[in-house]
Amino acid sequence: MEKLSYDAIVVGGGLAGLMAAHQIASAGFKVAVISKVFPTRSHSSSAEGGIAAYMPGNSDPNDDPDFMSYDTIKGGDYLVDQDAAQLLSEKSGEIVKIMESWGTLFNRQPDGRVAVRYFGGQTYPRTRFVGDKTGMALLHALFQRVSGIGNVDFYNEWFSLDLVTDNKRVVGVVAMEMKSLNPVLFKARAVVMATGGMGMLYSHSTNAYINTGDGYAIALRAGASLKDPEFVQFHPTALYPSDILISEAARGEGGILINNKGERFMKRYAPKKMDLAPRDIASRSIITEIREGRGFPGGYVGLDLRHLGEEYIKERLALAYEAAKTFSGVDATKEPIPVRPAQHYYMGGIDVDITGKNPDIIGLFAAGEAACVSVHGANRLGSNSLLETLVYGRETGNSVVSFLRDYSGSTSDMEKEAEKVVEEIYRFTKSETGVHYGEVLNKLRDIMWEKVGIFRDEKNMSEGLTEIMKLRDMVPSMYVTDKSSVYNTEFFNALELRNMLDLAVVIGTTALNRKESRGAHFRTDYPERDDQNWLKHTIAYSKGKTVEITYKPVKMTKWKPEARVY
Amino acid sequence: MVEKAEEQKNLAQLEEQEITVKIKRFSKEKGSWWQEYRLKVDRFTQMTEVLRRIKTEQDPTISYRASCHMAVCGSCGMKINGEPRLACKTLALDIVKIYNSSTISVEPMDYFPVLKDLVVDLDEFYDKMFKVKPRLYPDKDVLEGKVDHRLKPEDQRELWKFEQCIWCGLCVSSCPAVRIDPEFLGPAAHAKGYRFLADPRDTIYEERLKILIDSSWRCTYCYQCFNVCPRDVEPVTTIKKTRAHTKFMKEKTKVAETGEKHIESIVSSIRETGKLEEAKVYLSTYGLLESIKDMIYAMQNGKLKYALVQDTKVKGLDQIKKIMGE
Repeated sequence: MEKLSYDAIVVGGGLAGLMAAHQIASAGFKVAVISKVFPTRSHSSSAEGGIAAYMPGNSDPNDDPDFMSYDTIKGGDYLVDQDAAQLLSEKSGEIVKIMESWGTLFNRQPDGRVAVRYFGGQTYPRTRFVGDKTGMALLHALFQRVSGIGNVDFYNEWFSLDLVTDNKRVVGVVAMEMKSLNPVLFKARAVVMATGGMGMLYSHSTNAYINTGDGYAIALRAGASLKDPEFVQFHPTALYPSDILISEAARGEGGILINNKGERFMKRYAPKKMDLAPRDIASRSIITEIREGRGFPGGYVGLDLRHLGEEYIKERLALAYEAAKTFSGVDATKEPIPVRPAQHYYMGGIDVDITGKNPDIIGLFAAGEAACVSVHGANRLGSNSLLETLVYGRETGNSVVSFLRDYSGSTSDMEKEAEKVVEEIYRFTKSETGVHYGEVLNKLRDIMWEKVGIFRDEKNMSEGLTEIMKLRDMVPSMYVTDKSSVYNTEFFNALELRNMLDLAVVIGTTALNRKESRGAHFRTDYPERDDQNWLKHTIAYSKGKTVEITYKPVKMTKWKPEARVY
Repeated sequence: MVEKAEEQKNLAQLEEQEITVKIKRFSKEKGSWWQEYRLKVDRFTQMTEVLRRIKTEQDPTISYRASCHMAVCGSCGMKINGEPRLACKTLALDIVKIYNSSTISVEPMDYFPVLKDLVVDLDEFYDKMFKVKPRLYPDKDVLEGKVDHRLKPEDQRELWKFEQCIWCGLCVSSCPAVRIDPEFLGPAAHAKGYRFLADPRDTIYEERLKILIDSSWRCTYCYQCFNVCPRDVEPVTTIKKTRAHTKFMKEKTKVAETGEKHIESIVSSIRETGKLEEAKVYLSTYGLLESIKDMIYAMQNGKLKYALVQDTKVKGLDQIKKIMGE
């Protein structure tokens, strides 16, 4: 097998990966960025609303980083590591300044400074934005910046298969060029997993098609642990049927949710807050309506803006209006926007500390949605995901630099191990019969949605887990009908499915294990938060067919858990 | 009763319709062929969903690119009924309605080499994007954090329009100038280039002129890029705006010089007659020797009479001069 050598490998070309690569390369080390898409196609581009930042001299005079940390910790239902939240707040202003200096076209105040607006869960306004395309603007600015510095080689449209380790030390990554199906062993002393989320595990998700949780599965197979993998965020208002996010602003501005009888059903679930109830409550209410036959055919409810008037809708809710028109053919001034809840974000991820370092494998780092720094806890606050990718992408890059300065790496060749990785996957193309990925994929996505979704309970999750295990057992007999050796996407879809199944087992097992309700993890059989027994992080390892669960304490610095009431 | 009617209306909206999708297939091993698929779609079904369903339910061997499904990542550029479009931004039944046919054809983008089915090789596209140095080169003091940029809200708005290019390649795939002129950077690269040329925070203006000016005069103003851009970036507008910077360039290339002369002679023709005197404009743009050569060529092809049409001045010339701001 062909071999290439670098100081560090970054897997994933979204915001977190690019920022890490920038720091490593700027310190003089050679970096390869391996991404299965051209970097600007990464899911970071889909982020809409903005990036939260406390900027001294350009924030509310009463605000300070502590308020910001508190908002994040309370939003995360106290499963947040408080030192991580504090670091996030303290570095937020700096990171926005850096991105501005690299050309990001933030919206401006009349005096030319970066503008700011309110977002849900913020005590003071902190969200910095570029229209309603903040993620796209940041991603392009950062990619363009990194493409102009030396020391970084991009391997775009290369699919990462597995980590190669030697006695719990990173040796490198085996990846395959999608155009030629040519495998290469990328050797490096450090690997940063920045592979983003896993929305495709669910039949309804706001995520990009590429979010198949590859990084989580690669880490699990290498023996690294995931932290808090049971925490999956669902957003109540995704556009039907494309699942494009309709921002919370639509309800904030006065939009109401209605069922197929034209009834404002939130009055039955949240009599006071009505349509402005928190994300989890709104999501559960919508699902209840649909399950009890009061949804529209196809399975959605209406987000009614009509009473706000055409002018108001077009001015204040431009994106919601445009998205409904373009992607669902619905004129929001004339009919309700069809919406349903959809998977939106994954709080769980590869276990790392605030330096981005994984404790299980020497040389393994992770950043962004792929990682769990424990900054979002049980529920992520809006405008905090873009911030996390950049702040912790940078922190992780910096700690890779100090790691590389001190560590000489494994001397083993490990070529046989790399060959084994490739042999394993070639089986899919060599067999002529067996199970096809499409059948398994659609089943998995339905099971996750139905049984390990918004409502969870012992019975459903046990059934779901059994079914997921059965599906995973089919992987060895999976086959690929397309025998082409050029850009064979069926082959890569099959590999993605293998990753999705490895992760699904861990999510199912840990969700079944946590016998309480906290943030996005809602159990009908344990509807209360239980700090006595469950104020702790889940740590999960994949051991053959089973999942091994241990725990880690939550880091508390200043704030004691209190009821999460808004 | 009102509720009942509403419900009926909603049921009708979701009525499924069977469509036929004809996909132009290609693989290195099998060559090129058309393949047909039938499936039911409703009024909400995006073409990316059509492809995903065909791939997971009928034929897994189809290759295409798709990622965000909300027109921000630029992965799914292709030709749908011959039109360059993003598949995600195209609803299947809208196409059925516009073309009054339940058969939809899907092909890879033009111009770029096809790798497999709908997946094309964009390497040349990316190379041209990187040629324009697509990044801000800020002042050293800003990079070191000593001072902050300020940017007027109106400048931000103007630049943001052109910054919204998502590198999808649709404009280049439909550009006639790119095909015949390897020196032309293409519409997307020009949009990107201008976005930084016009950014008051940038520090390499002279270098950008050298990269952009010559190429900007190679565009034919056909407006295809304007028509196909899924984000309304208007690449051709940036090319016009870039040309306006030609006067700031010290050493101009032949193409830029000719372009400038062309504009000058058009302006003087209009100032003098209120009309575009083609022959005169030609003469003053290309000079006597070149014009005679071309005239002989035109004569040989029997086209000389068109070149020699004499124009008379329009009435109310002073009104025209007023419009021209003189």
